[in-house]
Amino acid sequence: MTGHRSLDWVLAMAPYRRDADYLETLLSQYSVPVRRGTGTQDLEALLDDRPGVLIATHEALNPEVLEIVRGHLVAQPDWSEMPIVILLDRLAPHSRIRTELAQAWPRSRQLYYQRPVATLELISGVQSGLLARQRQRDVRDHIEREIELRHELNHRVKNILASISSIFEMTRRRAVSVDQLAQDFSSRLAALADVHAAVYEANGEPIELARVADLTFEPYRTGGQHNLVSRGPAVFLLPQAATTLALCLHELATNALKYGALSDGNGRIELDWTVSPEDSLLTIRWVESGGPPVSAPSRSGYGTRYIRAALQNLFGTAPSILFHPEGLRCVVEGPVSRVSAKHPNA
Amino acid sequence: MQSSAPPLRIFYLEDNPLIVFHIEAMVEDLGHVFVGSASSFADLVGNTQALEVDGVLVDIDLADGRTGPQAAAWLHERGIPSIFVTGQEAIANEYGHVALGTIGKPVALSDLARKLELFRNPILR
Repeated sequence: MTGHRSLDWVLAMAPYRRDADYLETLLSQYSVPVRRGTGTQDLEALLDDRPGVLIATHEALNPEVLEIVRGHLVAQPDWSEMPIVILLDRLAPHSRIRTELAQAWPRSRQLYYQRPVATLELISGVQSGLLARQRQRDVRDHIEREIELRHELNHRVKNILASISSIFEMTRRRAVSVDQLAQDFSSRLAALADVHAAVYEANGEPIELARVADLTFEPYRTGGQHNLVSRGPAVFLLPQAATTLALCLHELATNALKYGALSDGNGRIELDWTVSPEDSLLTIRWVESGGPPVSAPSRSGYGTRYIRAALQNLFGTAPSILFHPEGLRCVVEGPVSRVSAKHPNA
Repeated sequence: MQSSAPPLRIFYLEDNPLIVFHIEAMVEDLGHVFVGSASSFADLVGNTQALEVDGVLVDIDLADGRTGPQAAAWLHERGIPSIFVTGQEAIANEYGHVALGTIGKPVALSDLARKLELFRNPILR
C-alpha cells in the first residue's frame, strides 16, 4: 500500500513492558501517528507500508529484526534514506552497537539516545526525521513525474515518426519524379510542423478552428487577395483534431493550387463551418468556384485518400468529396464533441 | 500475394489518421479488403461494420485512452481475432492472451502481410 499517508508515520519496535504504550502516548500528543511492530511476522508487512521513521529500543534488536529491517533498507528506492531512532540503556555497549548497526543497516540516518530520554529531545529527533522524509517524498514525486514525462515524450516521438513514415510512403506512391516527391513531401512535412507549432504554442489549450484555417491559407494570401474566405463560429479543437483538420485543409489548398480555384488567379475558395444549436452538429464546407472546369481524377491521389480516411476516422462518418464542374466541394459533418474540448456556448 | 486464398476483410482501430490511410493502402496492396476504421473503443462498439470482418488491427492508445487492450478483449469475447499494431510492444505483450500477435510501428509491408495471414490460420501463432 502506498497511500498518501506513506512516509509520515512512526513504526515503533519496543517490546519491553509498556515502552510501546509510552511512545505511542507521547508521539500522539504531537499528532504523530504510530504503529507498533510487535512480532517479526508483521514487521515485514508494516515496512511495506512505508513508515516515515523507525524507533527501535535496545530490546528490539535481535538478529531476526536486524535482518528484516536490513532487507527493507537494501531494497529502498534511490531517493529513500530511512531515519532510525535507537534508544539504548545507559549500561549498553554503545560504541559496539553503533558499529554493528552502521554495518547491518545501510542507507539509514541513525540517531542514538540514551535512556531515560528527555521528551522534547526525542520528539525533535522524530520530527526532524519526518521532515527529512517529506523532502525525500518531494524528490520521489519529482522523479516519478520526470519518468512519466519521458515515457510520454517517447510515445509522442514514436507516433510522429510513424506519421512521417506514412506521409513519405504515401507520397512516394504517386510521385512521378524525385523532384516532385521531394517537393510534395516537404510541403506536407511543413504543414505538419506548422500545426505542431500552433498546438505547442497553445500550451495545452484548445486551438480555434479559425486559427487552423488561417494557418492553411497564410501561404496563399499574397498581395492582399480576397479570394480565400473562411468564416464560422468559435470551435475549440483538441490537438489531434486540429492536426488532422490542418492536414486535410493543406491537401485541399495544394490541390486547388495545382488544378482548382487557385490555379489561374480567377477562382475563389469559401471555407465555412456551422454548429447547429439543436444537436451540436458541426458541418465544415470547402467550396471552390471560378477556377478551370473540374473533372474527377481517374484514380484517387494522396489528398482524396487522406481526406476520406482522416475525416471518417475523426468524425465517424465519411466526408463527401464532389468534383463539381464549377469547382471541388468537400463537406463533412459530425458531432462537435468529437473534435472539440469545450463547446463555445458552454 | 496470396493469390489462391480469398481476400481478408480487415478493420482498423487507430486514432492517428496518417497511419490509418497508410495501412489502408497497404492492406489493399496485399489484395485484402479494408472495411473501415474507428478512433476509439467507444466507436468500435457502435460500429456494426467492425463485426463483419476476418480480423481487427488494434492500436494500444486510442482517442478514449489506453483502451486498445480492452477493445481486443471485447472482440475476443465475440470470436473476432485481433492483432496489436503499436510502438509499445511491452504493453501489447501483457495482453497477449486476447490478441494473435503484435505488429511494430512503423509498419513494414512484409510484416503486415505475414501477420494478416494469422487471421486465416490462428494456429500459425
